[in-house]
Order: sequence, then structure tokens, then C-alpha cells
Amino acid sequence: MINWIERRTGFVSMTKNFLTEDVPGGASYWYVFGSATLFAMIVQIVTGIFLTFFYAPSAMTAWESTKAMYDHPFQHFVLSMHYWGASAMIALVFLHLLQVVIWGAYKSPREIQWIVGVLLLLVTMVLGLTGYLLPWDMDAYFASQVAINLTLNVPIIGGWIQQFVQDGTTMGTLTINRFFGLHVWLMPAVLVALVAAHLAIFRWNGAAGPPVEDPRPLRKGRFWPDQLFMDTVASLLVLIGIVALSAFWPPFLDMKADPTVAFTPYPAWYFLDLFGLLNLVPGNLEILGAIVIPGIATMLLLLLPWIDRSTTRVAGSRKFTMWLLGVSLAIIWGLTIWSQLSIMGKQAAAAASGPPAVTAKEQANLTKAGGSNAAPPSTSAGVSPAAKAGQAVYSQNCSSCHGAAGAGTPGNFPPLAGNPFVTGDPKQVILTVLNGKTGPIQVNGQNYNGMMPPWKSSLSTKDVANVITYIRSALGPNHAGAVTPADVAKLKK
Amino acid sequence: MSSHAHAPGGFEEAETPEGISRRQWMAKATIAISGVIGLTLAIPIVGSLLPDVGAGGATWTPLDENTWKQLQSATDKAVRIDINLKSKDAYLPEQSSPQSVWGIKVKDPQKFMRDRSDLFTPAGKDMLPYPIVTLGFVLFSPICPHLGCYYNYDAANNKFACPCHGSQFDHYGARIAGPTARGLDPLPLREQSGTAQCEWIRYAPTIADRLVVSYTA
Repeated sequence: MINWIERRTGFVSMTKNFLTEDVPGGASYWYVFGSATLFAMIVQIVTGIFLTFFYAPSAMTAWESTKAMYDHPFQHFVLSMHYWGASAMIALVFLHLLQVVIWGAYKSPREIQWIVGVLLLLVTMVLGLTGYLLPWDMDAYFASQVAINLTLNVPIIGGWIQQFVQDGTTMGTLTINRFFGLHVWLMPAVLVALVAAHLAIFRWNGAAGPPVEDPRPLRKGRFWPDQLFMDTVASLLVLIGIVALSAFWPPFLDMKADPTVAFTPYPAWYFLDLFGLLNLVPGNLEILGAIVIPGIATMLLLLLPWIDRSTTRVAGSRKFTMWLLGVSLAIIWGLTIWSQLSIMGKQAAAAASGPPAVTAKEQANLTKAGGSNAAPPSTSAGVSPAAKAGQAVYSQNCSSCHGAAGAGTPGNFPPLAGNPFVTGDPKQVILTVLNGKTGPIQVNGQNYNGMMPPWKSSLSTKDVANVITYIRSALGPNHAGAVTPADVAKLKK
Repeated sequence: MSSHAHAPGGFEEAETPEGISRRQWMAKATIAISGVIGLTLAIPIVGSLLPDVGAGGATWTPLDENTWKQLQSATDKAVRIDINLKSKDAYLPEQSSPQSVWGIKVKDPQKFMRDRSDLFTPAGKDMLPYPIVTLGFVLFSPICPHLGCYYNYDAANNKFACPCHGSQFDHYGARIAGPTARGLDPLPLREQSGTAQCEWIRYAPTIADRLVVSYTA
């Protein structure tokens, strides 16, 4: 039977040839980073394929279809695995690269294999960037906008590149389509082609083996089953990591992207170093942080086999390269940690002094409560149509001061969620919305001193009724009765 | 690999001059045909990827005639002009929402240019590819450039004030007070066959530069 297949396909000898690769110096757990990266890529491809079964790319459906996935336990899990798989893949690419640098494995004749590897790192990062937009929630929208607008730093053709990337003059449904095409078809195709080239060149040159002065005394090791077993163990560990993170820290979906709401986005962890770099350079030198320095770093990486001219692969004898590596790592990790700390600091400050905009936590509450100004999902069953209509009025007119979830702005604008005044006498609430309120007040023991404009001329009677119904009955823990347009009309004198 | 059926070295063709030139011709022709195939695919694909800058961009919206007339007879007071904003995001259904913009008669263009140097000599990456003052008027977006609230007009003091965080602007839209990083955002205005029209632009909040965020809502 095997002979029958072999004579017609050559598959058996091909498989044997594949499995009997020589592993210089014997199998080792030091060699698992490449195959673990490959495994993470396979996890991404498999989970990604099935995510396209549920995702619909357009401004009207991207967030909605993602929300539907979040509401389905297994779809949510597949999505979480894709989310954490992306982090795992980038981390493993980075570890793989780090090991190749330390072992000097990019040296002749493996220069092209190294270049293909660096291209793989870049393609992986583009995949991370394009995938970030697809859920079309606040963070996706605003973080991608920052990334896209960085292209404006390119001299002369920057504006054109920006429009090309987002397919139009502003981010919209065509941007989703474009990023979807890039993330789901073009970049994975490029990735797989580069991986095939990476592996083919790897087989051509053979494994580099440990960095020793004279490789001849190394004993011959076997790929099958010794190394493949270790690779499989490493893949299992990667999978356990991804599954555990997906189970205990699934990603969360912000409210739907709304370009009219002010929002401060933060990047994925693997872009924190670039984010920190951008924050470090002064505004008028943004081109340095956006284009020049990352460009130089990429060129250094690509040209490393020619920068490190020493004939040995032993790290101890390559002092310059090791210094370069150490300084680069210190900068990358320093920027990453500094950015993370400054983000945490800003978030803490915003929570203490009152966020001017909608915070992620408020959005989380809103999302959990099933709220969205665009499309209240099915979980908001029990919320009346009037309250739903009021929610839209609220997010347009009230949320910039009182917060998307009604948490208020400390010192200035009181919370509405859990505020007994809001759920108390409806007449007083109506009068406040109609005529505004200025001066010091106290809510739940906290002092506020702000200025609320009268809304009687800018909101219709029906809108006033709906928004009050919303804040009384559906905002946070509030469960008071509705008010009707007639109630409002009576007081609108 | 010795048992391979397609072992190399199987060419029996004689190395005659005709044979060589024939093979060279076929090699070149193969490359040329591949090039034609590649171009045939690439040209329409690249063409399909070019952004249609007109679509999804700003559209001209007629100003409400009555309020526009009010502005023409106004002195130096701001006039609230209603528009019915219709917006379309590529192939998605058209959306329509009532909005209003603020119109001011620019009686002293020199003062206006001094007041609003941020519009005429912007320092950052501002996107203002249109005349700021048209027909002797300037239109302002009703959105506060600080955090996107709708600001109010204080007719008694002839200035604008935002209720949300207290930013204030003079009647030419220059910042007087408050946390805003820039003055009010102008909107393009034109007259087309007897009707005044404006473009709706939503600029990025908070920052000093005017970066277009959206032409819808």
C-alpha cells in the first residue's frame, strides 16, 4: 500500500526526507522557538478562518457581528484565542529573533533566511495592526486612526498614503473593508509564502546548531522523533498559555466606534515602544518618532548580518553586536514599560479628577448593560423603546459631562446613575433638564459645582421625555418610572 | 531521487544554432507573456484600490433660507443657521440629521485675519483646503473644539461659551478662555445657483491641529 502511494506520488520518500533532517549537536529545547512561532501562526490561521464565519465587514455590521460573537460562548472563546494567539505569535517571533541574534545564526550562509525572518516580523506586526481595527469599537477606531494618521508624517505624499490606507478621506466602512482584505487575505498569503521560503532556506542550509568555534565534533542529532517531540511539547505549552489567557482574561469589546465622542486610545502592548517614542519626540519632530527612527531600526535589523562582521558565532567574541542588542533591548523595554506606566498614571489621574471623555470602564459598564448608542443589543430586553430612544439623545448631548454610564465628572458634573434626585420626583428632573442648573450641589455626599445648559430650546419635548425616561429607568442601577412627552409639555412654559 | 521519473539531463535536442535561437526566443516569449498576464491583472487591481476621494467626503448642504437671510441682514451678531445634514458612508444607506451652524458677518477682514491667525497661518497639520471667509461671512461648526459639546451663543456679550467645560470664544471664534486648544472650527461656504451651501466637517477634538475626523454627523 505504502509502495503503491510512493510510486504514484513520492510522498513517502518526501516525508522520510523531511523527518530525517540532521540536528547538529542533538535535539534541544533551545530549538523550539521557530516551531512554536509556526504553531502560533497555525492557531491564528485556524481560529481566523472560523472567525470569518461570523464576522461581517462594514461600518454597520462590524461591531454588531463582533458583539454577537461575544454573546456566544464558543465564538467568544475562538475570538479570545485569536486575540491571545496574536500576542503569543508576536512574543514568539521576538524570542525566536532574539535567540538567532544571540547565537549569531544569521551569519553566512544564512543572511537571506534572516532577511525573510525580519520580513515575517514586519508582516506579523501589520497583521496585528490591521486586525486591531476590525471589531470597530472605540479603541479599535481611535487607535487605528492614530496609526493611520502617522502616515501624514511622510513628506509630500503623506496625505495621499493616508487616503490610500483608509480608502477615502475619512475612516469609514471602506476602511473596514480594506483592513479586512489586508488582514484576512493579503497579509496571511504573504505570511505563508514567506514562511515557506523561510523553511525552504532553512532546509537548504541545515540547522545552524549551537554557536561553537568548531562545529565538526558535534554529534549528529535526529529531527524525528527527538526534536519533533520537543517542538510538540513547546506547541502544547503555547496552546495551554493561549487557552488559559482566553479563559481567564478574555478581551473586552468597547462600545461601538463613534467618531463624535472624544476618546483616548491606547495601543496593543507590542506597539507600546513606538507609542512611547512618539510621546517622547516633540510635536514638530513627530516625523522622527513616526518614520525616521523606526525606519532606521528596521534597516539595522535587516542589515545585521553585514553589521556584525566577526567570523565567529560565539556571543562572547561578538562584543559590539551584544552591546547593540543590549542597548536596543533596553530602549525597547524601557519605552514599553515607561508607556505602560504613563498610561496607568493617566488612567488613574482621569479616574481621580474626572475624565473629560468616556472612560473604558464606563464603556465596559455600558456594554455590559447592553447599551450602545448605535444598536442596543438584544440583552437590553426589558428596556422600553422610549428609553432606547433616550439613550441616543443621552449619548449625543449628556454623556460628555455625565459620562456614558452616568458616572459623572467629579467636582463638576454629578453622576446620574445611582443618584436619588434622578430617580426621585420626575417633575424636578424635567425642570432641571428644561432649564439647566448652575451652582454648587451635593450628590451622595460629594460636592459638584458645574454648569448645565437649559435644553428646552435645543431638544424636542419628546427627546426630553425619552432621555429622562432613559436616565431614570435604564442608566446604571436606576429603575424609576418613565415620563411622557405630555409631562414635559406641561412644565415647558 | 535517482528513481525520479523526471530526472534532469533528458534533453535530446541538438545544439544547432537554430535550436538555440528557437529556445532563446521561447524563453523570452514566455517572460513577455507572463509580463502581459501580470499587467493585465495588476492594472485593474491597482485601479480598484485607489481611493475615490469624492465618495465618503464632504457634501454640500443647502442652508435654511430664512436663517441665511437673517445672517445677511445681521450686523456683527452671530446667527444660528439650520441645515439638514445628509451624509453617506460609501455604499451604506444615506443618513439625515438636522444640525445648525453659526454664521458671522466679517465686517473687518483685517481684524478677523489678525484674530484668527490660527486659520490663516496654521502651525500644525491643519486640513483647511478652502477659503475661510466667503461672501463676507464665516461659518463655524457648532461643535466645541475642546471635547465635542455643542456650545452656546451669548448674544449680550457677543461671544460663544461652552457649557461643558467652560471654553469661551469671541464672535470671530478666537479662544478667550477655557481648556480648548484651538479656536472655533470654520466650515466651507459657497453660493451655488442662488442657494448658499455649506460643508459639514467634524474635526478631531482636544488637539490644536484641525484634523478631519468625519464628514458625517
